[in-house]
Formats: sequence, structure tokens, C-alpha cells
Amino acid sequence: MTTANGTMRLLIDHPLSAILLTLFAFQLALLLYRRSGWLLLQPVMLATALVAGVLWVAEIEYANYRESASPIAFLLGPATVALAVPLYRNLGRIRQLFWPIVVTLAVGGSLTVILTLLIAHLMGAELPVLMSLAPKSATMPIAMLVAEQAGGIASLTAVLVMLTGVIGTAMGPWLFRLGGIGDPVARGLSYGINGHAIGTARALEEGEECGAFAALGMSLMGLLIAMLLPLVLGAGLFG
Amino acid sequence: MLKGLTVLFFVQWLGTAVGLLAVPMLPGPILGMLLLLGWLMARGEISQPIDTAASGLLQYLPLLLVVPAVGIIDSGDLLLDDLPIIATALVLSLLVTVPLCGWLMQRMINRAESRGERRP
Repeated sequence: MTTANGTMRLLIDHPLSAILLTLFAFQLALLLYRRSGWLLLQPVMLATALVAGVLWVAEIEYANYRESASPIAFLLGPATVALAVPLYRNLGRIRQLFWPIVVTLAVGGSLTVILTLLIAHLMGAELPVLMSLAPKSATMPIAMLVAEQAGGIASLTAVLVMLTGVIGTAMGPWLFRLGGIGDPVARGLSYGINGHAIGTARALEEGEECGAFAALGMSLMGLLIAMLLPLVLGAGLFG
Repeated sequence: MLKGLTVLFFVQWLGTAVGLLAVPMLPGPILGMLLLLGWLMARGEISQPIDTAASGLLQYLPLLLVVPAVGIIDSGDLLLDDLPIIATALVLSLLVTVPLCGWLMQRMINRAESRGERRP
């Protein structure tokens, strides 16, 4: 790569290269995921690894890639808004299951935060790392805001959010099979609470009802972390 | 598709405005989702353009997530310092809560349904 001439460099740095790289990597990941039938090979994880590998080999900074590929990332906003459609379609079922949803969210949502902090604390993690870990189950923008306010490191939180989504989603199908959890509503809610947007993307693959409850779980978990975590962490630190 | 996309962008813009003015803790797209849900509930139906745009976009949600996910390479050093702790905490907590949430919810659904279907 160091011997590449100016034209080659221009082509590599062209915005279209980043977009094409992302599209190719994703389709290759999708192909491998479907061909292998191996659920651990989540397309998001695989495509991310492929893109990261190419960026490393071609010596492209993430900031440059992100800027060039921004037309793709830009659609994440309207896609999040669009989750209201499956939510609306399943509104009847959501109303009917209101209390089970609240209980699962309260128990599962707080347990995932408590367990993560407890394990990290017992293993000797420092306070900034703990504060970066605390909001990791929320969607990225919420998590980064909360981490920053609590004295964590926002960029570390962004990575932890991604890892949580990828790991939770990759293990999901296997853990659900192990636990005999076949109900699309139950699977969806768990995908959303534990794997936020990445879990929701996977849940939508399983079906619209599953996806709707994942979107619900993700939003409620985000709300819970945004509203309550700063209060709890604040009380724990200064109380 | 264009009409629906316009609506989605507009609602996201509204959500961002609400966020800036009232609830800075919540991101614009999440507030936009709540606004669109409220709008759909008020109208009582999903119009064809919104449906087309939404299902088109949601189909590619995993693709859209790849770009921010690649950001992991920028925080490599921070992560590597505490990797054993972080990896253990993440994996162990997920091993517990992923099946727990699903199991708890499924159990409560089954109970609610057996109560609802008690008629002969």
C-alpha cells in the first residue's frame, strides 16, 4: 500500500469507496450468514469486522470512513422513526401484555445493569470504566450521554454498546433454544432489552411481531436508562 | 417511497426539535418514533407511503448499523486495557439476562393466556 501512487490513493479516499466497501461487506456477510446457517455469524458483526479489516489494510482513518459512508449512517435516523410502524401494528398485543412488559423490563433491565457493574467491580474495574459500562444496554446516543454525565468515557461506552448488541444478539438464538423460549413476543422483548438496535434488527428477521416487541424493549430500556440511571448513579456516588 | 421518506424525515426533525427544547436526554430519532406512534394512533391507520418507506428502511436496519459499529477500531486501546474485565462482565451478564427476560415474559404470557381462555 505504501507504494500506491497518487491516483490509487485518490480512488481509495473517494467517498464512493467507503459506500461500496460497506455495501459489499454487508452483502458478503449476509451471504456467509445465510449459507453457513450459523447464528453466531451476525451480519452486523461480520460486516463490521470485514470493513475494519479493509480500513486497517488500506490505512484509512475511521473518521474519514465515517464521513464518506455518512449517507448510509444518515438513514439510521428515519429507520429508527420507522420502528413506530411495527409498534403500531402490535399495539393491541402490547396493551394486552402491559404488565408483563413492565415487570420484565424492571427485572431484566435493572438486573443486566447490576450484574455488569457487580462483575466488573469484583474484578477490580476503576470508576470511569464502571460508569462507561453502566448504560451499555441503551441505544448508543442515550448511552453516550448518560456515560458522559456520570463520569464515564463516552467513546468507550459507544464500543461497549456495540459489543453488548453484537454479543447479546449472537448468543440470543442459542440461549432461547436452550431455555425453550419460542414465543416471538418474549424473544423480541429480550432482544430489545439486551441487544438494543442490533437485537431489534435480528428480531425483525424473525418476524414483524418479534421485531415490534424488540423495538418496544429497546425504547423502554433507553427511557429507563436515560431517566433513572443518572439518578441512581448520582445517589450511589454522593449519598 | 418519497412521500413516506419525507414524512419520516420530517418526524425525525420534529423529534430533534422536541429533544432540543424539552428533553435533551433523549435522542431525536427515538422521540420521533414516539411522535410517529402517537400520530398513527391518532389517525387509526398506516398510510401506504409511510408503510412502504418504513418497511423498505427497516429491511436494511442491520446494514445501517455497520457504519457506527466500525467505530470500535478507534477505541481499541481503551478497550484493550480492561478487556478481560469488560468481556467477562458483558458476556456473563448477557448469559443471564437474555434467557431470563425471555423466560419471564413467556411465563407471564402463558399465564395471562390460560387465564383468558378459561371458557369451555
